Amino acid sequence: MSDTDAGRPPGAPASWDTAPADVDLGRVWTGVAAQVWRRDPGWVERLAGRLLRSPGLARALVATPSLLLAWIIATLVVLAAGAVATLGTGTPYVALFAPALAAAGVAYAYGPGIDPAWELSRSVAVGDRMVLLVRALAVFGLNAALGLAASAASGAAAALTFGWLVPMTAACALALAAATLANSANVGVAAGVAGWAIMVLAGRATLGQYTAAVTDSALVLPYLLFAVCCCAVALFATRISRGTS
Amino acid sequence: MNVDITDLTRRFGRTQAVAGVSLQAGAGVFGLLGPNGAGKTSLLRMMATVLPPTSGRLRLLDRDAGSYAPRREIRRRLGYLPQNLGYYPGFTVAEFVEYFALLKDMPPGRVPRAVAAAIEQVGLGDKARAKLGTLSGGMLRRAGIAQAIVNGPELLLLDEPTAGLDPEQRVAFRALLRDLGQRATVIVSTHLVEDVGAACTEVALMDAGKVVFHGTPDELIARGEGTGAAGDAPLERGYSAVLAAARSTTAVA
Repeated sequence: MSDTDAGRPPGAPASWDTAPADVDLGRVWTGVAAQVWRRDPGWVERLAGRLLRSPGLARALVATPSLLLAWIIATLVVLAAGAVATLGTGTPYVALFAPALAAAGVAYAYGPGIDPAWELSRSVAVGDRMVLLVRALAVFGLNAALGLAASAASGAAAALTFGWLVPMTAACALALAAATLANSANVGVAAGVAGWAIMVLAGRATLGQYTAAVTDSALVLPYLLFAVCCCAVALFATRISRGTS
Repeated sequence: MNVDITDLTRRFGRTQAVAGVSLQAGAGVFGLLGPNGAGKTSLLRMMATVLPPTSGRLRLLDRDAGSYAPRREIRRRLGYLPQNLGYYPGFTVAEFVEYFALLKDMPPGRVPRAVAAAIEQVGLGDKARAKLGTLSGGMLRRAGIAQAIVNGPELLLLDEPTAGLDPEQRVAFRALLRDLGQRATVIVSTHLVEDVGAACTEVALMDAGKVVFHGTPDELIARGEGTGAAGDAPLERGYSAVLAAARSTTAVA
């Protein structure tokens, strides 16, 4: 299957045939090809690689929007969940559980049946849940950037962007940071959920739209305690001997 | 032993896809033969750590595939080509192979050279910068093989790797398999007995989720001698004879 062991590889110069016999031309050609075909990662990918301590996750992050069908489906679900969350139903439960809908949408869009290389990506060392967190950040982050641009022209876009896309981008970034630090996607998810819950409940409390049980600022401490408990449970559930990924 | 499987089972609802398989394999090319629905792909997917077993013990590269940290280490040293390889049409061959090299946790400094070597090994050098969406089925299969071997795997799992390859490419691919089998365990699931005869040092034949034969290709040929079993080649006759014997035993039981 290889041309490098016998004869001149495709694209190699004619002088190939007259090179000294003690030079491993196959090896030389591979080195040349590596330089010619190498892709220079952009600054976002380089920065993400450093922050996430994984060039694979960084590559997955920047490649996410290029998987077009999955991207469109994930974006539509995320925007629909955002519309529901920012509708102003008077109860915080809708906003609290909207991320579950968004997460399910992103997981479905980049899951079996739609992501063509899903089976392959299940067999690699970088965990599929970590990849999913990265994909969620990419979906929210890029849509938040687009939303910021659209906010200048539309009030509805501004409400969706500042009430949903930007906070969820922050929650996803928090989740990914926690997952990277703890080396566990489950810990990241717990941190992201806790962060979002605190954001929603604190926001409601300051607006006075929530019931007496949550308008009391003294309850911030229990919220934080709840978040710590979530993290502890996630840490327990993802300890290595349990064999979760 | 790079592969050490004991009494492995996998159920899908009421269907038992793999029924108590035990196998050991060291370095070399191991052929997995069997009719459609025999359980080859399910067994290979379990070995690729994509599908968890229902029961049994699965040790790969001297590690327990059921635990997180060892499984991650296995995956770093694993190459896998699924039966239905999905690809991203907007990626070039080099980008596709590089993407999976990075997801396999390869050190980034080693990636460009490993990508180039893998692409050259499968003879896709002149298509390295072509988009996957523009390639033929055989070329896509070769791109899939390139991503499977990019990390220099110690355990290489290939599900129907020669599907879509023309005869010339298949001959070259078998040579590549023999070369890889010098230092790694290569497990090839295939319908094509000629691939087994030309490249494999060991072969297992599966039927109805069970291994009904395990030996060398020569031993499989010997099973078909004088039986009058159907087949154009000695290996095919061995294959048919073993399957017929296994099915008659099952029917009697």
